[in-house]
Amino acid sequence: MNAWGAVAGGFVGTVVLTSALRAASELGLTRMDLPFLLGTAFSTDRTRAKALGYLLHFVFGQGFAFVYYGVFIAIGHSGWALGAAFGLLHGIFASTALVSVLLPIAHPRMGTSESSAADRPLLEPPGFMMLNYGARTPLATLLSHIAYGAIVGGFVSLAS
Amino acid sequence: MRSAGYAPLRDYAAIGDGRTVALIAGDCSIDWLCLPNLDSASVFAAVLDAERGGSFQLAPDCPFTTERRYLPETNVLETTFITGEGVVRVIDAMLLPGVGLAPSRELARRVEGVAGRVPIRWRVEPRFAYGSRRPHIGLRGETPVATCGQDALALSAWGAGDPTLDERSISGCFVAPEGQAALIVLSAAHQEPLVFPSRTEVESRVGATLAFWRDWAASRTYEGPWREAVIRSALVLKLLIHAPSGAIAAAASASLPEQIGGERNWDYRFCWVRDSAFMLDAMMQLGCPREAEAFFWWLLHASQLTHPRLRVLYRLDGGERAPETALGLSGYRDSRPVRVGNGAAEQQQLDIYGDLMQTAWLYASASRGFERETGRRLAEIADLVCEIWRQPDCGIWEVRSEPLHFTHSKMMCWVALDRAVRMAEAGWLPRGNAARWATEAIAIRDFIDSRCWSDELSSYARSAGGRDLDASLLLGALMGYGDDGDSRMASTIDAVREGLGSGPLLYRYSGEDGLSGGEGAFLCCSFFLVDALARAGRLDEASDAMRELVGLANDVGLYAEEVDRSTGAFLGNTPQGLVHLSLINAAVSLSKGQRA
Repeated sequence: MNAWGAVAGGFVGTVVLTSALRAASELGLTRMDLPFLLGTAFSTDRTRAKALGYLLHFVFGQGFAFVYYGVFIAIGHSGWALGAAFGLLHGIFASTALVSVLLPIAHPRMGTSESSAADRPLLEPPGFMMLNYGARTPLATLLSHIAYGAIVGGFVSLAS
Repeated sequence: MRSAGYAPLRDYAAIGDGRTVALIAGDCSIDWLCLPNLDSASVFAAVLDAERGGSFQLAPDCPFTTERRYLPETNVLETTFITGEGVVRVIDAMLLPGVGLAPSRELARRVEGVAGRVPIRWRVEPRFAYGSRRPHIGLRGETPVATCGQDALALSAWGAGDPTLDERSISGCFVAPEGQAALIVLSAAHQEPLVFPSRTEVESRVGATLAFWRDWAASRTYEGPWREAVIRSALVLKLLIHAPSGAIAAAASASLPEQIGGERNWDYRFCWVRDSAFMLDAMMQLGCPREAEAFFWWLLHASQLTHPRLRVLYRLDGGERAPETALGLSGYRDSRPVRVGNGAAEQQQLDIYGDLMQTAWLYASASRGFERETGRRLAEIADLVCEIWRQPDCGIWEVRSEPLHFTHSKMMCWVALDRAVRMAEAGWLPRGNAARWATEAIAIRDFIDSRCWSDELSSYARSAGGRDLDASLLLGALMGYGDDGDSRMASTIDAVREGLGSGPLLYRYSGEDGLSGGEGAFLCCSFFLVDALARAGRLDEASDAMRELVGLANDVGLYAEEVDRSTGAFLGNTPQGLVHLSLINAAVSLSKGQRA
């Protein structure tokens, strides 16, 4: 188990997660667009927001990979199955607390039940489990995060 | 004015944003809108099924009459309702993205009280996927939304009453007092979260959209006769140009019937190679070099995958697949089937090679050539024409009967090789096969003169050995076939006018086409006749016909594909790009003729 495994796993896992969510969008399973959501916190220019969003998403992907790595060290065990279990928890956290609760608080352009678009444009809030973006959004989110976790766990394990 | 829920096709005005186009009836109902792009599935299609298609209605809740116009030199529509309670004005615009976070597609309806207090009622019935999927309608905070898979709509309203939601629609009513304005905005999202716009930014984008159109129209260089009709046509074409690629859709609609109750219902939301030479010529005549250049490179890019063969049509994104399917909609006044996609994409049409080479010739003449790789590709296309011109084809009108040796197709093959020779002489194409191109061009000419001329008709015939006429023969004259003093071409113009004409209008052809039923007079052919007469120096006849044809436009200057000669009703898809292109080119020819 070493940090390079987390770096590689975080990168590959984020590529897979991003691609899976994009594919889910193309297949009509969800309207969620994480890079768009993240990037519009910093820019109102759509192109710039998406580019920034992708960058942030990869930074977060690396960050979470190191969180996984820390837990793997703490419990003295790693592997793709354990990583997948972490991914499931991560997916639940991302689609409930992180995006549904924390993002609307931190995002200056995210609509909430208290906000009004009278003065400036607002993004559609994600709602519980991001269901506002489509009924199958939780499924797409959870499966893609499980894949991410399995890849991080697998790479950390391989780098042992 | 509606009959069984359907407005006359003549009633439709168009607004757009370079990505999609909405068709608005005379009673201000938006009966056609595809999202996110013009060639996507519809969210409003009441024009194809009054019950299930979906629409966005907005009108006084009392008897009214209307007056309409586009705000001068824009694609922003103004409808004035005159009622017993007062007068109210509705401004409809598809907004162009500007500064700030804007919805990816945004349609604004501004309701201005002009006099009195007019009760207004509005109702949005979205039906995604050509009416096949019902939306989920709900609220995000206080904003009504309708969602369906990858697509979503939000309805933001200011001063337009409290929205009421039910399973099928979002509606509201309010009173428009004099001096006050309400605003209703439909924002759309595709594969992303919705953006709820602020009123301030919407008002700002309405102003920016008006300014964009006015600046664009003011930049057009045409100063000849019928300028108003020419500029309106240019604005229509700009609506039909798909901004991300530069391709131009043949029309904004799909499956509007060429005969009420008939089967001639086709999807025109594709880019036809056939239109390319007209497009490039018109754009350059109007001082639109950027649009002309974007279109030329789009054409080369789109045709790369099938090179050296060309497809009849391409999708607006350059894709080649356009599978034709029938929808479950009832069709405009029961005109079925309602088709999307276009089976003509699979046909062989030889004329398109002439259109492409003429387009390249026009482009190269204006920009002094092109890079070597482009020249090599065009030379390979000329080589292909040498091999295939002897084959029968489906012709410019895409008949679904047996392929024939259509005279127009052969003429356009001659045009292809003639332009290839000229471009080779100018050094823009490799000269290796130029002698072969010249030899084959002579062979084509011999074929046309020996097999396609009819002494009985005193005209070139529709096809080799045939006795039918075809208005496409006029295109030979427009493309320079017979410019060397061929009296047969002059005789053909008269024969076509005599045999297919009715006043200033022309029908397409006589004879079989493999489909049942008939069709109206073809407006583009009628403008081709004006153009041909003007080029032949018959300016008085051309001017008279032009005057009558310009008078046939609807109240806001738009044309559908065809017109019913007896009733003046529009038929077919609307607004149709080729009609507006041919109007521009006819006006330019007249202008040049008058200056000569």
